[in-house]
Amino acid sequence: MSDGPLVVAEGLVKRYEGGRISALAGMSLTVEAGEFVGIIGPSGCGKSTLLHLLAALERPDEGALRVAGHDLTSHRALNHYRAHHVGIVFQLHNLLPNLTAAENVQIPMFETGLSPRARRVRAEELLELVGISHRLGNRPTELSGGERQRVAIARALANRPPLVLADEPTGSLDSKAGGQVLDLLEEVRVAHGVTLVLVTHDPGIAARADRLVEMLDGRAVSSPRAG
Amino acid sequence: MRFATLVIRNVVRQRLRTVLTVLGIGIGVTTVIALGAITSGLKASSVEMAHTGGADFMVAQKGAADLSFSTLPASDIASVAATPGVSAAWGVLIHISRVASVPYFFTYGVEPTSFDQLDLTIARGRVPRGSRELLIGVKVAGDLGLDVGSTVVVEHTTLEVVGVFEGGGRYQQLGGYTLLATAQALARSGDTVTVVYVKATEGTDPAAVQRRIEAGSDRFATIATAAEYGEVDQGLEVLDAANLAISMLAVVIGAIGVMNTMIMSVFERTREIGVLRAVGWSGWRVVRMILGESIALCLVATVVGVVAGFSVTRAVLLVPTIGSLLSPSYPAGLFVRAVVIAVVVAIVGALYPALRAVRLSPLEALRHE
Repeated sequence: MSDGPLVVAEGLVKRYEGGRISALAGMSLTVEAGEFVGIIGPSGCGKSTLLHLLAALERPDEGALRVAGHDLTSHRALNHYRAHHVGIVFQLHNLLPNLTAAENVQIPMFETGLSPRARRVRAEELLELVGISHRLGNRPTELSGGERQRVAIARALANRPPLVLADEPTGSLDSKAGGQVLDLLEEVRVAHGVTLVLVTHDPGIAARADRLVEMLDGRAVSSPRAG
Repeated sequence: MRFATLVIRNVVRQRLRTVLTVLGIGIGVTTVIALGAITSGLKASSVEMAHTGGADFMVAQKGAADLSFSTLPASDIASVAATPGVSAAWGVLIHISRVASVPYFFTYGVEPTSFDQLDLTIARGRVPRGSRELLIGVKVAGDLGLDVGSTVVVEHTTLEVVGVFEGGGRYQQLGGYTLLATAQALARSGDTVTVVYVKATEGTDPAAVQRRIEAGSDRFATIATAAEYGEVDQGLEVLDAANLAISMLAVVIGAIGVMNTMIMSVFERTREIGVLRAVGWSGWRVVRMILGESIALCLVATVVGVVAGFSVTRAVLLVPTIGSLLSPSYPAGLFVRAVVIAVVVAIVGALYPALRAVRLSPLEALRHE
């Protein structure tokens, strides 16, 4: 990993449907290692698209994007980047329904070369960290919404990524469970020294970030300090 | 969790679909095993027949459509016997007819001097010395309730059982020996034999003797192996061809079934595959997972098919007319063929769904409802 900011995005452009829809129109963003950055803005402003580019789920059409020293506009082994340098927490937990909580957490570890036993031990540690070590053997359908998001957070941390991306992580939870998930995200960020970029349209949630980036029409319109 | 555990979990996820797919492929494997076992058994029996009485090979009529249609003048026995390298040669007329409840009763006619060559154990009585006498196999004697002193009617001719023999091959136990002249009269074949059995002189290569005999007359075809038997008796070749055709059909039908199952399975899991890609799985790992699921499915189907193949073959042999003629054989190659078919079916059936899964971008897959 290189020194300097963990994320450097300059003039990102992303268009869909042959250019008819412009999701990002010159978005720039810098995130320092260890920061908790909240991305806020109305629906359709490009928040999720930005997150997808940071997660290397797609490439920008224009602009420069470097994360953890990797140039994501030209990087060929994107799966290696996704496996080792970024963890994602989706709005819907996206856990595999036929696997237990512990097995779901092990899924990203298949790309690391860890032995099955080491994967199991690591998954148990992570589930203890997120407070559901008593639910190791339960499948997603046997867990509450908050517990599923905790498993998803554990999965995002599986390969010790420097950057964790969260896309409306409390969007499908009630306020109490949502608050607990946010507390947990902050705890693991501090405990593991990870950088957290959280997308939300809820100003109350965004206010918990170190720094807020407000987006409108595919670009940042302000970057005030939170709180 | 091991990668294989994940693969198995995915396979057993849709139990009914998995069971139906396994049954579909299993039926194909059953057909391959059952037909293969019967074909192999026939080949083994044909080889056994070619070496009756410890003969190195037999001589039949070249170009005969079927071994039972082979006709050689009895004078050929002497000409074969005179070939350098031949230690002994004896002619046999084989006539097949229905006798009482036995649908295929084999009457073997030999010269009186040839009984010593036949390698039979006389359990009771003696060998035939006069016309209308029969030395019968212990098995068929039991089936027909015959013993020394009994009579049996073959082709409207009453023969007296003068002896009961043990040993010999499966086909010898399906009938009995009489004098050549008696058999010729029953078969109304004139002074002919069906085949001439040959023993090569010790130290002589039987294959060289075979070549010599075939070179000596364009009427002779010599048979020592199943392949040589197939050249004379087209039935085995037809069965072999049918076996191959059915195996290929089983592969095609199986591959379509597996492809259908895997396409549905992958389509239903599109979003999950998107998650796997999003957390860093390579396309190759996703392909391995889908291929693994398909191979697991097909290997289970192979086990089911092999067990069913055994059972079906045994059931077929319960039919007396078939059971008396056929003795299935299960060479290792048969199981290797079944496994190869299963793996080919698995790979062919899973390739398209697997490639389709990895061609989809992770984001497209995640957006799939």
